[in-house]
Amino acid sequence: MTPPRETHPLAEVLGDTDRRRWLRGVGAAGLAAGALTLGSAAAVQAQRTQARIVVAGSGAGGLAVASRLRRQLEGATIIVVDRRQEHWYQPGWTLVGSGIWPKSAVVSSNARFMPRGVEWVQEMVAEFDPDANAVVTDGGRRIAYDFLVVATGLHLSYEQIEGMDVAAIGRNGLTSVYASPQAAHDTWRAMDGFRQRGGKAVMTLPSGPLKCAGAPLKMTFMLIDRLRQAGTLERTQVHFHTGLPDNTVFGVKAFNDQVLAMWDADGVQRHHLSRLAAIDIGARRATFVSPEGERQEVPYDYIHVVPSMRAPDAVKNSALAAREGPMAPGGWLEVDRHTLRHRRYGNVFGVGDINGTPRGKTAATVKAGAPLVVRHLSQVIAGQEPDLKFDGYTSCPLILREGSALLVEFDYEGRTVTTVPFVDPMQPSWLAWLMKVRMLKPAYFAMLRGRV
Amino acid sequence: MYNIWLGLNILWETALLAWLPIAVALMLWAVLMGVALGRGGSNWRGGLRVAVPAALGVAVVAFFALPAATQSSLAEMGYWVDWVSLAGLALACGAVVAAYVWPIGAMACRKPAAA
Repeated sequence: MTPPRETHPLAEVLGDTDRRRWLRGVGAAGLAAGALTLGSAAAVQAQRTQARIVVAGSGAGGLAVASRLRRQLEGATIIVVDRRQEHWYQPGWTLVGSGIWPKSAVVSSNARFMPRGVEWVQEMVAEFDPDANAVVTDGGRRIAYDFLVVATGLHLSYEQIEGMDVAAIGRNGLTSVYASPQAAHDTWRAMDGFRQRGGKAVMTLPSGPLKCAGAPLKMTFMLIDRLRQAGTLERTQVHFHTGLPDNTVFGVKAFNDQVLAMWDADGVQRHHLSRLAAIDIGARRATFVSPEGERQEVPYDYIHVVPSMRAPDAVKNSALAAREGPMAPGGWLEVDRHTLRHRRYGNVFGVGDINGTPRGKTAATVKAGAPLVVRHLSQVIAGQEPDLKFDGYTSCPLILREGSALLVEFDYEGRTVTTVPFVDPMQPSWLAWLMKVRMLKPAYFAMLRGRV
Repeated sequence: MYNIWLGLNILWETALLAWLPIAVALMLWAVLMGVALGRGGSNWRGGLRVAVPAALGVAVVAFFALPAATQSSLAEMGYWVDWVSLAGLALACGAVVAAYVWPIGAMACRKPAAA
């Protein structure tokens, strides 16, 4: 049965091309009357439009963009498509996974942050049809749009690890902080149990794009700290297996080198070009593969699994996915790294982890990118071209131990960026820790509400 | 400018999480101030002589207590920015206490009625 086609009435009268031309005229009038406001270089004054905008996803990026669009575009129809009821504060999962926060601290509800005046379709986008300017939900509903913001997040490819079972996280020394708040909580339970005895810990890090690329490092630092607190570090071996090249665990050299120096001092044994390919959970044995295909079976008492990541199927299998270049294998959204506008579909923008950009799958990148996406979308509605260049800002408060962290901030080029005055990013700091455990979550909530 | 706006939003969102005790505390302060202002003869300068030492005392305690309260320790103060931040927060704790002690002190140090 063909799903009912939902089209805008104006499109049926004028046709899609005429409709967008009309929208541009109305939008341009509004934008011409506006001006930059203080406080955010990306902000523009509200404009009137009857544009129909679909936001695919209600995570950090989707809600931040929807909130801003609601205030920015008077008269626009804004539709958020996502079934999820719970809202997960993912930047807090390493704190849960290392026993700093309870699980409840990272779970709230999407209803709390969904902006008023936005239609919330509680289904998942199953298919993107950008040639027809429509998305299709898993409930069979076809939703037409004039403009689309893709904020789906990414897919965790645990299935690429033979024998891996997400439901087993927390048992038999198996941990992984990425899967869910419950997995983060179970990771802490397993870490807490392991640190009482010590033994052999295997930490992993694949190559390729990751959300929060610092999380595998944070979990290693916190494991060492918890072992030290328990007095069992001396009788524990910590091994770090990564698919990255020699002497590389992080994409910014200055921080990478500092991490390696600290790990060398703590006796962490590193294994590079070593990808986790299989795991026998019951027997506590992991298989790592070199680029040449050599397999090595490694026994462990505790393992932290980090899966490789890619775009969700709905994006990967669509015309929106990158077709060539380094972003193609992961099926990432093919956006211009500076404007966050799709390279081939000018009425499509991306925000958050789904973007095929060189760096920045963090909440901090969403915070920096969402105002820019809204600004550029507003400009395109008004018939103008995006005028700002996103520098790829991302931030990763790197927890070193309970009570201390590094405030790591950088851009696309890997250059250190400092947004807080006087802060030395290379200095282990209580202030960076305080920001991580007390300030970033309120800032995140303000971001969801479109205020920062 | 943006960092100030961000800071205000952080304070606001943090306050939202504890709105009830904050509301009660603000009401209590308003009542104290109202009573102290409403009663004749409150000695506001005298009240300061009580409030300022109290604030300093609280600030000293907070200076040593805040790191542990944030799951850290004084040993983790990495450099001057940490110390200045800690001192600033400790002084802020003192200022909050001073805001309550001042009207109480003003009433306690009331000027004698004119003969």
